[in-house]
Amino acid sequence: MDSLFLQQVLNGLITGSVYSLIAIGLTMIFGVMKISNFAQGDYSMVGAYTAVFVMAWVGGWLGWIGSVVAAAAVVGLLGVVTERLVFRPLMTRWTDIDMIMVSIGLFILLDNLAQLFFGATPRMIGDPFGGTTVDLGVASTSLLRLFCFFFAGITIFCLELFLNRSRMGVAIRATSQNRFAAQLMGIDINQVYRITFGVGALLAGVGGVLYGTLFAIYPTMGALPTLKAFAVTILGGMGNIRGAIWGGLILGVAEALGGNYIAMEYKQAIGFFIIILVLLVKPSGLFGRKEGA
Amino acid sequence: MSARLRNILLWVVALAVLILLPQVVEDRYFMHIAVMAGIFTILTLSWNLLAGYTGQLNLGHAAFYGIGAYTSAILAMQTGLSPWLGLFAGGLVAALFGLMLGFPALRLSGPYLAITTIGFAEILRLVAMNWVELTRGSLGLSGVPLLTPIHIGDWRMQFYFERDYYYVVLAAVLFTLFCIRRLIGSEFGVTLQAMRDDEAGAQSIGINPSSYKLAVFTISAFFAGFAGGLFAHFARLVSPELLALHNTFDVLTMAMIGGLGTIAGPILGAVSLTILSEALRSMEEVLKIDIRLIVYGLLLILTILFMREGLVGVIKNVWARVKGDR
Repeated sequence: MDSLFLQQVLNGLITGSVYSLIAIGLTMIFGVMKISNFAQGDYSMVGAYTAVFVMAWVGGWLGWIGSVVAAAAVVGLLGVVTERLVFRPLMTRWTDIDMIMVSIGLFILLDNLAQLFFGATPRMIGDPFGGTTVDLGVASTSLLRLFCFFFAGITIFCLELFLNRSRMGVAIRATSQNRFAAQLMGIDINQVYRITFGVGALLAGVGGVLYGTLFAIYPTMGALPTLKAFAVTILGGMGNIRGAIWGGLILGVAEALGGNYIAMEYKQAIGFFIIILVLLVKPSGLFGRKEGA
Repeated sequence: MSARLRNILLWVVALAVLILLPQVVEDRYFMHIAVMAGIFTILTLSWNLLAGYTGQLNLGHAAFYGIGAYTSAILAMQTGLSPWLGLFAGGLVAALFGLMLGFPALRLSGPYLAITTIGFAEILRLVAMNWVELTRGSLGLSGVPLLTPIHIGDWRMQFYFERDYYYVVLAAVLFTLFCIRRLIGSEFGVTLQAMRDDEAGAQSIGINPSSYKLAVFTISAFFAGFAGGLFAHFARLVSPELLALHNTFDVLTMAMIGGLGTIAGPILGAVSLTILSEALRSMEEVLKIDIRLIVYGLLLILTILFMREGLVGVIKNVWARVKGDR
């Protein structure tokens, strides 16, 4: 194995960890509420722009941490608000088509509102570490990218703690397994929906800061994270959080290797090739269990 | 007056108005909008055939539109095939792709189908971007030939101005409408609706949903390709942009706002939204911002939340109330 290969694997893992984060939000919302939210990537876009503003205000690595916190708060709130206004009214009479279409409506709306407010010029989140690189022996990367990877990991770890240790987390898992039984046990289902959607959006928001750190930020950037998150989610099985973690890493590495060894032009299509293959061979995803977070 | 007679009368009046329209309105810009409204009517009708009557959400419809446009344009430019035949060739090639996509898509539903069809369209869009020898990449094919003149005896019709294309598109919309109405009204159409409402029930009386869905997928793709061909010879420019996701989103917004699963709905939706979007575009000079898509998104959300039956449902309700008052 040459070093270029390992370098690409490392790059892929870093990008993939961000995909995982955004996809976990999507898969959680699907697992608990059976909503396929095509506006998920727009939550990332809002998170990224939040970071742009915080960084312009504070700057440095403190600003970077501050933007993650701010993005989590802003996008979490946005998630709760959209859940209440757009998705909740449909929960009692939904069909797949209605839910998907209403989220597409939200996607179009947020995309174009962003264009209105933020302008079409691409933005960047600066590098608080001044471009320091880290040599890992076989491959090297910037300190910032490494930081993104660890931050994604920490966020996922915190989520696992929340879902497994807190009362609300247990209620969320119970609801995803059986909504009616959960209700019978006295769980406030609407509260569960609100928190699930808020946390799902929040993860996309934090993921958006990381995504915006790695790539350019522009108003219509949301489409790519949405599509990637769906690819990852299908790869890992819809509603399966562990599946989304592995799915994200696999997609990231596959894109990096495919873009390098097969065709750069088709890099963005690799995710689609993978999901079409997965859906043909094993529609429940690579990671076993059919549904449930 | 019997209901049937009234229906026929309504059709005759509507047709007469549509045929005479270009004689009254001479503005070329207006005719351009009318042509685009017609093309989007065909696209929306064909998308709705699949989504509205079988409940399958195809988010890659723009791909069929693009395939039709590229096929017709390339055939006319490289082999000299008559654009009139090219329109149908474009439809057929799109139908072939529809059949190809339909096979794997049959096993999928909801979000799985939605994302697979998006993937299909995105892959083809990237092919159109990168197969430069055939498509000239992101520049697109410009200078696509116009529709060739028709001679019948001494009578000769040229296709040069927007107004000429208006008549072609009007004929195309009527052709599409005729085919789709026949299809929906037939036993085939009734079976589709039975399947959509209760697939297991339909299966239990010996209906094979797969072959029906596949057939609809193919027919839906045919008309989208046909619309693409019309666009190619009208706009004379075909680019990978035609296959982009936002075109499909425009189409589904039109179908939803008009009324999903009806025939009048897509027509109403496509025409009213095309006009609305031009109105909003002219407002852009005053407001200094493009609010067209913001309005689209908002309308789509509000329609699903508050008027699920779309404009058709609203009109039905108003009509029922008017009748009740009498």
